[in-house]
Amino acid sequence: MISLTEELTLLAVEDDGRIAYTAGSPNFAMALIGACIVDLNKAGRVDADLAGLNVLSAEPTGLAAQDRVLEVIAAGPQQTTERWVLELQGDSPDLVRMTLGQLQKRGILHQAEKRFLWALRARRYPIDDGGKEQKEAKLRILGALLSDGLPTPDDSMLIGLAVAGGLLEAFLSKSEVARLAERIAEIGGLDLVVRAVEAAIRADAEVRAHAIMLSIH
Amino acid sequence: MNLTQETQNQTTTLHAQGRLDFEAAGHFQQELEKSVASAATDGNALLIDCGSLEYVSSAGLRVFLVAARAAKAANVPFAVYALTPAVKEVFDVSGFARIIDVLGDRAGALEKVGRHA
Repeated sequence: MISLTEELTLLAVEDDGRIAYTAGSPNFAMALIGACIVDLNKAGRVDADLAGLNVLSAEPTGLAAQDRVLEVIAAGPQQTTERWVLELQGDSPDLVRMTLGQLQKRGILHQAEKRFLWALRARRYPIDDGGKEQKEAKLRILGALLSDGLPTPDDSMLIGLAVAGGLLEAFLSKSEVARLAERIAEIGGLDLVVRAVEAAIRADAEVRAHAIMLSIH
Repeated sequence: MNLTQETQNQTTTLHAQGRLDFEAAGHFQQELEKSVASAATDGNALLIDCGSLEYVSSAGLRVFLVAARAAKAANVPFAVYALTPAVKEVFDVSGFARIIDVLGDRAGALEKVGRHA
């Protein structure tokens, strides 16, 4: 079974192997860090409450991105999950690279260089497993959203982080997302870490809006 | 974390006491799954008394969702009650209070699951 961080990253890979533009957004960066923290929580390395993120063990998990996050958190001050998500967002390009590397190791995708306009090169990550893992993640999200049952914790967290990271629109139309908004709000992100990611995204947006206002005056 | 169980009037009640963190979550989940299974077999409702539950972490919180899901799948009426302020805040912030029946006291919980004191 792949990690939540891997699933979230896989949702950002488009059919032709391109990484969706949303993966470059601050929201995706923070959702990805949230996924790393959830994976670390499930692996017994950290545990979160409303007061902060507590390190239970600094022993590496063997997953590069999650271990990078664990290393930083273990060496840092005691602070809230929201604070960690905000502080670590600059590391997200490395975390995405590490996660794509992990997905390659698992044989789920591979790296390819594609040339366009004769000279320019672009890196692509075509999916190799017939899209099985990616399809499964999408089907789990849709299944939970379209049913009236309670989601599993994993599905709830995946939905919450996919919404926070702007990835739902990659496979659902805007009108479908709007139609499912109530259900998304009900079952998405039933978790303290995911709520911390959402709070971090709001705080980050406020800071950016404030900076824009200051630049205008 | 301490768990005690009692059954009366077709209602199984789990009394949770102490701290529900990562360390305690595994045991709590096992006990809840057993209680859901036996409540389903006996046609009982299942209540969790959180009056002495002092703390719930992210890992602990997920166990409530697993239990509520299992109870729903097994048609076992399920509710939690008497949350301490600290635990109630965690339920409110996480959104659990919107999807799980959370009642202020035992009488309310019994009424919710269709049982009488």
